[in-house]
Amino acid sequence: MTVWQATFWTFLVLLGLAVPLTQLGRRSKTVRAFGIFLLLLGTLAGLSVASKCLWQGIPVSIVLPSIASFTVSLTIDRLSALFLFLICSVSLPVVTYSTSYIAHHYEAGKARWMWALLSLFVLSMAVVVTSSTGFAFLVGWELMTLVSAGLILVEGDSKGRIDNVFIYLLMMHVGAAAVVASFFLYWPFAHGLEFASIRSASANLSAGARTAIFLLTFVGFGTKAGIIPFHLWLPRAHPIAPSPVSALMSGVMLKTAIYGFVRFGFDFLGGGPSWWGYLVLMAGAVSGLLGVLFAIAEHDLKRLLAYHSVENIGIIYLGLGSSLLFLANNAPQWAGLALIAALLHSLNHALFKSLLFLGAGAISHSTHTLDLEEHGGLLRRMPITGAAFLVGCCSIIALPLFNGFISEWLTFQSFLQGSTLSHSAAQIVLPLMVGVLALIGGLAAACFIKVYGAAFLGRPRSSEAADAAEAPFTMQMGMVLLAAGCVMLGIFPLPVLLTLAHLAQHLVPGSSMPDEIYSISSVIPWIAVTLLILLVVLFAARRARRTAATWACGLPSLGSRMQYSASAFSKPLRMVFARVYQADRKIETLPEDQTYFPSSVSYRSVRTTSFEKSFYRPAVERVVELAHWLRLLQTGNIQVYLLYIFLTLVGLLMYLRFQL
Amino acid sequence: MTVAIGIVQALFLVLAAPLLKGIVGRVKARFQNRQGASVWRSYADLLKLFRKEDLVPPSASWVFRATPRIVFAVIVSAAAFIPVFQSSALLGLKGDFILFVYLLAIGRFFLMLGAMDGGSAFGGMGASRDALVSTLAEGPLLLAFVAISILAHSTKIVGIVQWTLGQNFFDISAVHILAFTTLGIVALAEAGRMPVDNPSTHLELTMIHEGMVLEYSGPSLALIEWANAIRLNVLLALLIALFAPWGMATEITWGALGLALGAHLVKLLLLGVLIAVIESSVAKLRMYLVPDFLGVATALSVLAVIFTMIAKR
Repeated sequence: MTVWQATFWTFLVLLGLAVPLTQLGRRSKTVRAFGIFLLLLGTLAGLSVASKCLWQGIPVSIVLPSIASFTVSLTIDRLSALFLFLICSVSLPVVTYSTSYIAHHYEAGKARWMWALLSLFVLSMAVVVTSSTGFAFLVGWELMTLVSAGLILVEGDSKGRIDNVFIYLLMMHVGAAAVVASFFLYWPFAHGLEFASIRSASANLSAGARTAIFLLTFVGFGTKAGIIPFHLWLPRAHPIAPSPVSALMSGVMLKTAIYGFVRFGFDFLGGGPSWWGYLVLMAGAVSGLLGVLFAIAEHDLKRLLAYHSVENIGIIYLGLGSSLLFLANNAPQWAGLALIAALLHSLNHALFKSLLFLGAGAISHSTHTLDLEEHGGLLRRMPITGAAFLVGCCSIIALPLFNGFISEWLTFQSFLQGSTLSHSAAQIVLPLMVGVLALIGGLAAACFIKVYGAAFLGRPRSSEAADAAEAPFTMQMGMVLLAAGCVMLGIFPLPVLLTLAHLAQHLVPGSSMPDEIYSISSVIPWIAVTLLILLVVLFAARRARRTAATWACGLPSLGSRMQYSASAFSKPLRMVFARVYQADRKIETLPEDQTYFPSSVSYRSVRTTSFEKSFYRPAVERVVELAHWLRLLQTGNIQVYLLYIFLTLVGLLMYLRFQL
Repeated sequence: MTVAIGIVQALFLVLAAPLLKGIVGRVKARFQNRQGASVWRSYADLLKLFRKEDLVPPSASWVFRATPRIVFAVIVSAAAFIPVFQSSALLGLKGDFILFVYLLAIGRFFLMLGAMDGGSAFGGMGASRDALVSTLAEGPLLLAFVAISILAHSTKIVGIVQWTLGQNFFDISAVHILAFTTLGIVALAEAGRMPVDNPSTHLELTMIHEGMVLEYSGPSLALIEWANAIRLNVLLALLIALFAPWGMATEITWGALGLALGAHLVKLLLLGVLIAVIESSVAKLRMYLVPDFLGVATALSVLAVIFTMIAKR
């Protein structure tokens, strides 16, 4: 056993030990604290082994005892290492943050469950991305879904919550069924579903089987990733989870779907015909645009962030789609570039989205609400949280010097290279995608100006916001760690870009090291230096400053309700894109016969997305209809059931008779 | 030497900006049958504001105070991307148009945040409207750049300029006309000029940019106003560099540089007068007609990208 295999074992064992220790530390706080310490230590071990494999590209693999005829082995190759790195680098700050979050929010019994499930959640995600057999992958995949649902239910079990968890579990299992099916299509060709044999079997598959596998993985992993129209669960499940769990679900769990899609689409199948690329590209464009438009209309901070996850998954899919398109057009060079962009955006999104979810948790910790209309002026009351959240906002809207910019820039560059594909419609489609991504970026910027302006700036809009205090120290530390990661990756992206380029070369044979990664890495530090010098000069010039109340048109003073609210801010954009929202507006006047002199008027505006109305409703109704028909079989009469058994027996016997 | 000229170029864009504003104002005054203020008045205004004290609303945080400096620093570093007298710029060799556009976005982002931090109604109102305009302007702006960068086989601003310099003026294709129109429309919207925004309005119902900076005073206001003037100057210099760079010094001699300065000033003056003519003859658009106006720009830019397939040589 080498040192690195030992480290990998340590990682798994520490995380595994943390589960019982945090749960069973019933009496002793020390035992639980020791469990949390092991969890932190475990993520550090995982981080080190992942960095090592990512940098050197030598796989580390361990074989666990096999269960029945299924071998279970875990291997960290470069692709797994990237995602393991992502899981550990987000888990570390999230666990740090959770130490005080969980202590403040839950009584001892629930806190034990939180910690145990949290450790198991991290472990299950690590198993998903490192497993090198289909069996281990599916076990991890299922565990991940169930544990995250459990984490949502620890928070409470009200009717609405259970409904949302039900939708979550239902959609996850439809997706999981598709993933299982795509594995089992390999069964006749690959013995034991080991990844190595699946990879070599892929070359011998018929075109039809390849298409079926691709479509199944597209639906299966797409459901987990939350691309539109399979996104329905995402804005329901993420907001009701505890904030550190939302951070892990949105930042990390969605990325396991990206991992699965890349594993199948690139590693196993090695790309396919052009329409695969167009399909993924369109899914990305639709998810990106609709995701951000739905986000703009939201005023619940966590649901807004959940819709932004849909948007960012869309951006990742834009990169993956253009990569598939380049592969289909024999341009491996640019396919590699687009893949680098998509993978880097996965990493970036994990960092800034979990930062933003942790920030949302800190806000709700201090103000007890997630409604943007009840916040305001929090930056003065929560300076560290506010600064970290600002970094998250700048990153997600891709401002230069922050990490989101690097990956969006690379995506833009790969679109531009589309113009080199002559004799293909991609020559026009890819450059036009620049416009789509630019619109998504512009809308996201507008949305986060709304969020930051309404939550952190101006005057407090409620007494809770006015009395808000800074979050506890470890919560601040979790956010600051993630914010530092965003800025580091944004200014010095070269090391990460180089390792990603090696990974892309491994996944896309024939691609070379793109010049783009050097050009962006060399110009960004210069911009940073220029801006820094200018800002230092401008801040050094001291000027007289006086606090003076704003003129309030003759009134005594401005009230907090005179500010623009979050919904007022987004109104112009919502009016321009009114088609997307299709709000159901109801005005009720009471009593009804006196329309001119009503005693009360109530106004209600409900948005049900058109997907629910035109896609999910009919599907659900069809299933229910079918179930009604099937109910005819279920009489509840035992004689009838005996008849069924008898008829089945007769049928089987007849089958055997005529078969032989 | 190239670096020295690069610095001079950036300084020109920064220092001559108030003069451009003065000239446009003067020409507009003439159209309205007025004498108009001196073209140098913008400098006097800035000087006056710099001598005053900053008034800060009681609810404002550090974002409000930092915004003018960030806006100014960002626009100055964006100025270092644009070739003016020679076909290179300080950051132009490595900096491409995506970086340039996103640098401008930093300034807009903080300007809107600063406006929301004032805690009054007008700041939020201006920010909300500016968010609409700049969101819808982003797509056509980048697509127009995409069209000409496909022709020039370069995404670097300097690369595009050098390619255009090598072309014959009469070879200009439909792509260039479409892209120029798009960028012209977007530049008007981005710089907050008519018909999207009225820079001289003091009526709250029509304010976009003015609404956002209403709470600023003294040196902060001076920095924002100056940055705004630089933004117009940079955008016009960009239009000149991308579509009519002829006259730029290709070798570094005093004669060539003098010629380049003269040529640039003539082109800048023409564009300035064009803006004054547009602003004097067009009424400001209703807020909800602005998306249509930018929709025209988007359609033109999409056509420009599609036409590159035909025009590509």
